[in-house]
This record gives sequence, C-alpha cells and structure tokens, in this order.
Amino acid sequence: MSVKYIPVQWNPNKWLYDAIMLGGMAVFLWVFLYVSPESLSHERPVNPQIHNARAFGACAFVMLTIILAIGPLARLDDRFLPLLYNRRHFGVMTAFVGVTHAGYILNWYFAFSSSDKYVGLLYANSSFGQIAGFPFEVFGIFALTCLLILACTSHDFWLKFLTAPVWKRLHYLIYAAYASAVVHVCLGILQDQQNHVFTVIVLVGAVSVSALHLYAWYATRENSVGAASGSWFDVGQPQDFREGFAKIALLPSGDRVAVFLMEGQLSAISNACAHQNGPLGEGKIIDCLVTCPWHGFQYDVRNGQSPAPFTEQVPTYRLRIENGTVQVHTDANAPGTPVDPTPLPVSEITA
Amino acid sequence: MDFAQAIVMFIQLWGVIGAVVALPFLVFGIDRIDEDARDAYVFRPLLIPGILMIWPLVLWRWWQIESESSAWMSRYRVVRKAHGIAAMLMATVVVVAIIFGLSVRQTWPADFAPQQISEAGQ
Repeated sequence: MSVKYIPVQWNPNKWLYDAIMLGGMAVFLWVFLYVSPESLSHERPVNPQIHNARAFGACAFVMLTIILAIGPLARLDDRFLPLLYNRRHFGVMTAFVGVTHAGYILNWYFAFSSSDKYVGLLYANSSFGQIAGFPFEVFGIFALTCLLILACTSHDFWLKFLTAPVWKRLHYLIYAAYASAVVHVCLGILQDQQNHVFTVIVLVGAVSVSALHLYAWYATRENSVGAASGSWFDVGQPQDFREGFAKIALLPSGDRVAVFLMEGQLSAISNACAHQNGPLGEGKIIDCLVTCPWHGFQYDVRNGQSPAPFTEQVPTYRLRIENGTVQVHTDANAPGTPVDPTPLPVSEITA
Repeated sequence: MDFAQAIVMFIQLWGVIGAVVALPFLVFGIDRIDEDARDAYVFRPLLIPGILMIWPLVLWRWWQIESESSAWMSRYRVVRKAHGIAAMLMATVVVVAIIFGLSVRQTWPADFAPQQISEAGQ
C-alpha cells in the first residue's frame, strides 16, 4: 500500500476470514485426533507424536487443496472473489501448519540419532532407485520450502519491491508445492493406509484441484487479438461501451488495456493494477475512480493516479475514433500521465 | 552421509549470506528504494526470513532499482499466460503420482491376511 508499511493490515473482513479459517483448522484437527481414529486408519496404536504429525500433515494438505481451488473458482465465478482477497493469510497459516508437521516428524523419527537430525532426515532413506519405498521425504521438504518462500514474501512490501509480475512468477511455486505435496502423500502415508477414507480425500482433492485449474485456464484463455493499423489498435464500436464500465482490449504486445466510458467520454488505462496486476477493467467507476476488484486499489481513469495520500500509478493510453471505430494507441504513456478523455458521439452513448 | 552433511552446510551458508545481505538492506537500503518504508520500522523484522531465503533476488532488485535499469512497463505485464503451463504440469504430476502411488501399494485394493511363504529360518 502506498502509506507507511505496518506488520499486518487488518480490517473487519480479514478478522472474520481468519477466524473462520482458524476455526476450521481447529475442527479438522479435533476430528482427526479425537473423533474418527478408526475411519482415518489409526486403529493401530501410534504414539501422540506420530498422531499429531499425521494430523498436522493432513491439515496442511487439505488447506493447500482449498487454497489452490480458490483461484480458479474466483476466475470462473465472481462470488468466490471474497475468498481470494485474504488468501495470503491462508497461505501463511498453511506454512505454519506444515512446519508443525515437519517439527513432529523431525523430533520423533530423527531426534534420537547420534547424528544431526537434519542430516539424518536427508540420509536415512536413499532408495532413489525404486518407487516402493522411495524417499518421499524429499518431496515434503521441497513443498515445505516452497510454502515458506511464499509465506515469507507475502507482505505487501515484497509485491512492490519485486513488482507484481516477478512476485507472481515467484508465487507460481504454489503449483510446484502442491504437486510435490501430492507425490509426498502418495508415496508416503497412502502406502500405509488400511482404511481408504484418507485415500479418497487425497484423490478427490488433488484431481479436483487439477481439473479446476485446467478448466479455468481453458474457459478464460484468450487466443486472438483485434485488428491493428499501424500503431493504432481497434477496441470496438462506440455502442459497445457502457457508462461506468470498461471494455478490455488485448494488444498484440500482450498488454491489456481497459477503456472506460465515463460521463460520455472514453479514457484508457492499463488493465493491470499496480498492486497485484488485478483486472482493473472488471471494476466499476464511482466518482471518477475505478476500484480494482481484487483488493480495492483505486485509480482516476483520466490520469491513472491513485487518490492522495496513495501514490500508486498505472500507465495511460491515447484514444481516437477513426471511421466510427474506437482505437487505442499501442504505446503506453508513463504511469500517471494525464490524457484528455475522448468524447463519444452523443447518439452512441448508452446508459 | 557426506552428501547430506554437505547439503545442510550449504543451507547454513546460504542463510549466513542472507543475514549479511539483510543487515544493510534493512538498515539503510530499504529507505533508499521505497518511500513507504521510511520511518516504518516495526514491519522490517518480518522481512528477514524472506531475505534469508531469496537474497539473490533481493540483491538483483535492489541493484535494478538503484540503477533504474528496469523498464517501467514490465511492472504491468500480467503473467497470466503461464497459468496454462503451470496447470498442465501440476495436473500431469498429480496423475502420475496417484498412478504410481497406488500401483505400488502392497495392500491395495483390499486387505488380505499375511501368509507365511517359507519356513522360519529359511
């Protein structure tokens, strides 16, 4: 945010979100540990250390599954967007749960060796040449490392410092983490299941997440761009625009432009919010300001600047109407550059 | 054992270098590159674990900002296209992991009583 950084930004919605998340975690752990040991294949006696390790490991896997499902669901249906807003808190808590799982494992299976327990973890199983008995621990270590990187770089400072595209690329590690966690589970605890309840939970969760991501990608992919004449690019006809809303154009360069109609005039800004590259063109204009649907950052569509005291800026674009077609210049102006709005012919304005 | 010890030592060395980077970055570097961090100190300790883990990236961005060598438009280039590749890779690994995981399960698909296939001591 473009005010002084604070450790954690709270608001009533985040309190509620986190309360529900922590409540869900507590219920999951309670059910796992005390309510259903038979259905979770704990009928054979295990000591509390192992039982806790399994409970926290299962909890981390389920939380990771939910986190991975939120993204595509929000992409497919706006009603899931509130779950997306505070997903970083969810991710940080998942990393804590994962660390707790690892802590129980390390402090039980590797704590009584004469060698260092971290060395023991890496050394104890080296059967890399076979699938059955493969050292599944390495997949867990990799997944946990990814989760820790994501959790440790979740503060808004990192977004601004690394820039949203770099930050997003770094946070693509979540896919690697989940895939690795699935391998960790499949080659690990699933090999020891006498009862298939947890097996079914893992399979349904992992397959659902994979299918959701593939479907969301397929349903929202963009294959084609409109016509370009020189440096000007066709956005649409004047009657395509609706007062207070935007039409989004994909330029040949791959950049997206949001062209807004406000008070009968058109203005164009980058579709990517300066915060997390959220889709500004999916926001609505209120009092000259468009609000990013992801995290509420606001910009004046005539100059791409956030209202004071905020300092975020996005690039602006020049517009023209040529032969009855609205066109945008493919070269972006520097972030925060004012551009005079382009009036639409009065007969073409729709409310 | 030697290889495992070497990995642990490498991780420790990585962390030490990260600490060496974190100190100047959090004491004066961050004030030079981010106006929102000036006079804001309470949040800085939260950044230490991140710097320990990704210090090469921190050094690269620190240098980029100080030298103004980064193209401003790159900040607004959405990385959405990578989602399809990431989704396909993840789904492939998930399916392969499930197939291999279930195929080597010794008690799958149903439990059966253990049978002694040779005499004791043989």
